[in-house]
Amino acid sequence: MIKLENVTKKYGKFEALKGISFEVKEGEVVGLLGPNGAGKSTTMNIITGFIQQTSGTVVVDGYDVLKKPSKAKKLIGYMPEGVPLYSDLTVKEFVKYMAELKGMPKKQIKESVNKILEETGLTDVQNKLTRNLSRGYKQRVSLAGTLVSNPKVIILDEPTVGLDPKQVTEIRELIKNLGKEHTVILSSHILSEVSQICNRVVIINKGEIVAIDTPENLEKQVTNKNIIYVTVEDPENKVPHMKDKIEGIKSIKLEKTNEDGTKQYLVEVQDNIDIRKTLFANFAKENLTIFEMKKADTSLEEAFMKLIEKGEEK
Amino acid sequence: MRAIFKKELKSYFLSPIGYVVIGIFLLCFSVFFFLTVFSQGTVDLGGLYYYTALYGLIIIVPILTMRMFAEERKTGTEQLLLTSSVSIFKIVMAKLLAALFVILVTLVISLMFFAIISFLGKPNIVTTLVAMLGFVLISLATLSVGMFASSITENQIIAGIITIAFLIISLFAGNIHQVLANFALIDFYMPFAQGVISIESTISLLLFAFVFISLTIIVLQRRKLVK
Repeated sequence: MIKLENVTKKYGKFEALKGISFEVKEGEVVGLLGPNGAGKSTTMNIITGFIQQTSGTVVVDGYDVLKKPSKAKKLIGYMPEGVPLYSDLTVKEFVKYMAELKGMPKKQIKESVNKILEETGLTDVQNKLTRNLSRGYKQRVSLAGTLVSNPKVIILDEPTVGLDPKQVTEIRELIKNLGKEHTVILSSHILSEVSQICNRVVIINKGEIVAIDTPENLEKQVTNKNIIYVTVEDPENKVPHMKDKIEGIKSIKLEKTNEDGTKQYLVEVQDNIDIRKTLFANFAKENLTIFEMKKADTSLEEAFMKLIEKGEEK
Repeated sequence: MRAIFKKELKSYFLSPIGYVVIGIFLLCFSVFFFLTVFSQGTVDLGGLYYYTALYGLIIIVPILTMRMFAEERKTGTEQLLLTSSVSIFKIVMAKLLAALFVILVTLVISLMFFAIISFLGKPNIVTTLVAMLGFVLISLATLSVGMFASSITENQIIAGIITIAFLIISLFAGNIHQVLANFALIDFYMPFAQGVISIESTISLLLFAFVFISLTIIVLQRRKLVK
């Protein structure tokens, strides 16, 4: 449905995008993830034809955005960052205007406007000027304007920023439902959001793609199977010496000392060995009481940080 | 394109701008109606339109054009406009025509002066209509300048000042130096005010508008590259 090939964007000497390629299939919900300034908005602005790439091609449903702009743009509903609205129009007028701008046939507009106002919960405020609305409502108006022309492709730039938790859940639910009939690209810097809504995640950092995969795979990819946290009672500081007594341990580091006097150690083990049994037996021999022992569990959050760090080391 | 035209027009009349413009225009018309028709005891309305074009447009054009693109850029709504399926050419024309429409409305209202004179004497409807036609042309030319100024900045005030400065120079150029007289926009209006449709003037004014419409389109298109 959407295909980016080697897209770059340069501002003078600064490279905002350094050759990005990815593909989004019909009906997929894809999340663009990255820290601020990574190039998420730039990527979206290029797909929607708001700005022009320095090189590379963007094709939306077979139409090159540069060569057939109006055909491509007609297929895309775009909700830009910062939800720009025309402040002198009412909610209904605004949504109607958005439908007209996308070249929707006149007959369908009225019906479609009413339907979308209902779906986004705006029917009660439809005659209010958009400038008098609260942030959450503005966001909904912007979303309604994006969806009203029933575009095949929906692009949402940070759709849940500035909303209260209840609204966030509502919007997420809405986006999930959209994914059933539309192709959706959304950007976010909130990982839990992306892992909840998206089928696939594209992680961008400093204008480069660091990883593309499903949220589950990304988590797996960077999960550390060889780190174990052990909390023990160890007044004599014996644990660091255990490294020589047990085979397969790479290093033992003191993580922190707890208030009750127990200490937490981080044990790094050679690849693919489950050392917990041996650890338990050996510690018992030395009269070290184990209070807690667990394998390190990487969250998507950590995965994200690791991937970005990896990218930067390169 | 119709949608944008309608929306722009709505914005003019939902805000005070449209009414302010019509008010200023009518004030100008009335003042010059008194100064030309009454003082000189003539039934010719050419002078009325000539002086309104000379002094009125300097104030009215910036009011109509300063918001056009500057505000869209500032509030970010240009993103909505430029990602819609309407081409840049159509966007530019829709906005320009909406502004011109406000001027057309005042011109229609200005027919009341013709009505007033008709009670007192026999004004010539043809020369009046020619003066009005010229007025539309010179409005188009000056509005294009204002629109261009609005497209190069996101600050409305700066756009307005650039427009005023440009209009003062282009309307009064003749008074500054003999050589500049050739470029004085108002001189192209002179034949119309005298009731003559000058082909040369018509082409010049249209060409002038064409140049600034093109420049606006180029600016908007180029911004896609540097933004």
